[in-house]
Amino acid sequence: MEYKVEAHRIMSISLGKIYNSRVQRGGIKLHKNLLVSLVLRSARQVYLSDYYGGACLGSQRAEAGEWAEGETMESLEGRSSPGAAGADSCESETESRETLRAPETNAQASVEVAAERNAEEPASSSDYNWPQGGETDEERAPGQAEDSTQVPSCPVPESRFECGAANADEGPQSPAAAAPCCTRKRSAGKSPYAGSPVKRPRPGSVPPANTEGGDASEDMDTGNVSSLITIFGSSFSGLLSKDGAQAEPGAADGDSGSGTICCEQMLPNLSPWSTAIVAF
Amino acid sequence: MKCFSRYLPYIFRPPSTILSSSCHTEADIISTVEFNSTGELLATGDKGGRVVVFQREQESKSQPHRRGEYNVYSTFQSHEPEFDYLKSLEIEEKINKIRWLPQQNAAYFLLSTNDKTVKLWKISERDKRPEGYNLKDEDGRMRDPATITTLRVPILRPMDLMVEATPRRIFSNGHTYHVNSISVNSDYETYMSTDDLRINLWNLEITNRSFNIVDIKPANMEELTEVITAAEFHPNQCNTFVYSSSKGSIRLCDMRAAALCDNHSKFFEEPEDPNNRSFFSEIISSISDVKFSHSGRYLMTRDYLTVRVWDVNMECKPLETYQVHDYLRGKLCSLYENDCIFDKFECVWNGSDSVIMTGSYNNFFRMFDRNTKRDVTLEASRENSKPRAILKPRKVCVGGKRRKDEISVDSLDFSKKILHTAWHPSENIIAVAATNNLYIFQDKVN
Repeated sequence: MEYKVEAHRIMSISLGKIYNSRVQRGGIKLHKNLLVSLVLRSARQVYLSDYYGGACLGSQRAEAGEWAEGETMESLEGRSSPGAAGADSCESETESRETLRAPETNAQASVEVAAERNAEEPASSSDYNWPQGGETDEERAPGQAEDSTQVPSCPVPESRFECGAANADEGPQSPAAAAPCCTRKRSAGKSPYAGSPVKRPRPGSVPPANTEGGDASEDMDTGNVSSLITIFGSSFSGLLSKDGAQAEPGAADGDSGSGTICCEQMLPNLSPWSTAIVAF
Repeated sequence: MKCFSRYLPYIFRPPSTILSSSCHTEADIISTVEFNSTGELLATGDKGGRVVVFQREQESKSQPHRRGEYNVYSTFQSHEPEFDYLKSLEIEEKINKIRWLPQQNAAYFLLSTNDKTVKLWKISERDKRPEGYNLKDEDGRMRDPATITTLRVPILRPMDLMVEATPRRIFSNGHTYHVNSISVNSDYETYMSTDDLRINLWNLEITNRSFNIVDIKPANMEELTEVITAAEFHPNQCNTFVYSSSKGSIRLCDMRAAALCDNHSKFFEEPEDPNNRSFFSEIISSISDVKFSHSGRYLMTRDYLTVRVWDVNMECKPLETYQVHDYLRGKLCSLYENDCIFDKFECVWNGSDSVIMTGSYNNFFRMFDRNTKRDVTLEASRENSKPRAILKPRKVCVGGKRRKDEISVDSLDFSKKILHTAWHPSENIIAVAATNNLYIFQDKVN
């Protein structure tokens, strides 16, 4: 898992650079920050795909078909939300998650948040809405806001996502694992609300997206990356969408709420960036 | 391959520096170097917003060995730090680029730019002054009219040569983003200034209006994927220019085709080698400099590890690719951490377009002979700076046994980088900026 460690380190460094760029003389350099965001995205892809190549593989595969369909942006368009079952477990997980704190690393959190922001496009969130969609979006958004970091130990034992349990021992990864479950929901809840404080969002959504291919592990990995790429979109969008949301007045509260998530440290890092983007 | 010697015992340090060379102020770091079109003048800009212009001594028969040394001709403060109150941003005074205008009269003109504002400076000599005013005495005080009994007309008397620089035009408020290049058109009437997302065309006479000719800003900034990194006009076709991007591509545009040249006429890009993919692939493929050859037939681009020469007529791949310091490929992560990976190296052609030169770390700079395919690594350092000493080629050892005189990759000093170099337009004289020192090297004459 050296790749994961390396990717994680690079993500932390990248975020530090973005943060420092705010105080550099001469203003924020668009070119340098664009490049840093590209590195951040690449590292994130590796980090998450690497994660998925790991313990979660088996369980993911099971859900693959269901998840995949609902996940990717493209797939969002025409598919019905599959994974009702998944949704169920997701919900339960979400609840349990709310009580847990993920030892999320800053990088992870920020990346995830950023990733989530990206979800804005699929405001074709129609597909994001799980069957239980109704209750969810509104309810969930606030709930999720607090939830933030989750739980690594995607604990619900009955959860179909064994990955959560499997990941319990891997700190940083768990949030990611947990994320997928809740992410979907979050995204669903969140997408209509540009300013919603959803935290976790993206990283979670990634996994399902990944399983888009769903059949074999190889497909899954490839699907992972391509889904990530799709979701993340351009290099900036991941960071900016989150920031863009933050920039909105409504998001301010959300941010503080999400502070609970490991994002605590990252938020200050990210908001200057959003300020910069707004300035641009 | 010609050997270069330190013919001129020249190590320049800005006059205001009172510190020793080992520690220097940030403001003294040279940020751009440019010869004028005849090579008679050499301008340098620094981070403190100053421009120093050197002039080549006229060759004298009595001292043939002091052939054409460069001496300080003029020093002036081009840009000052500013503050944008609306955005709460400080605007650095660092001179990003200097470009000379072709000489049309006794005065010299150059364009200098910082992140936001381009200025046209006139550098002129004054060697006479009027004396004997009727109403003023020599101190300039007005004379009491009652004491004036005769009429006298002032006459011009010689004085010590004074070189004065005056700002003739200030082209401001043209750019939202940071200006990275300026390029004078061969029509000698217009020039373009380039920032991260836009290119503006200016008339040298008009400061309150510019035309936007390229705009790659997406409607939604979140979709931003690339920025413009450099741009240059074709040396003799006034309608053609190129601009490079952070994605490693170059676009050639023709201003006759449309008012807004968002659609390129030619697109130069080499597909990425999937074997070399890493986290930093995008950063190292970002082009930091693009230069037309003097003939206009070729383009040269510099990205982090290589220099490439392109044929303007062939878009699919470069004609030649030269590895500048490929041994750094395995160290990209460390270079990312210490920000060195963002260094923007420039590249230059020699007068005949047969040799190209670019800088590296440890005060090394590299030259590649396109005809013989030979290359050399030279070092700009004080130790090598004895007059008429020949520069010894250096070599970086990439692993395995290190020979004597070789330097290992781990010993390279990444704080000593040569980003800016210039080559005399017709002779083999090069100017190399190493942090706050300017080295001028000349070809050995037999």
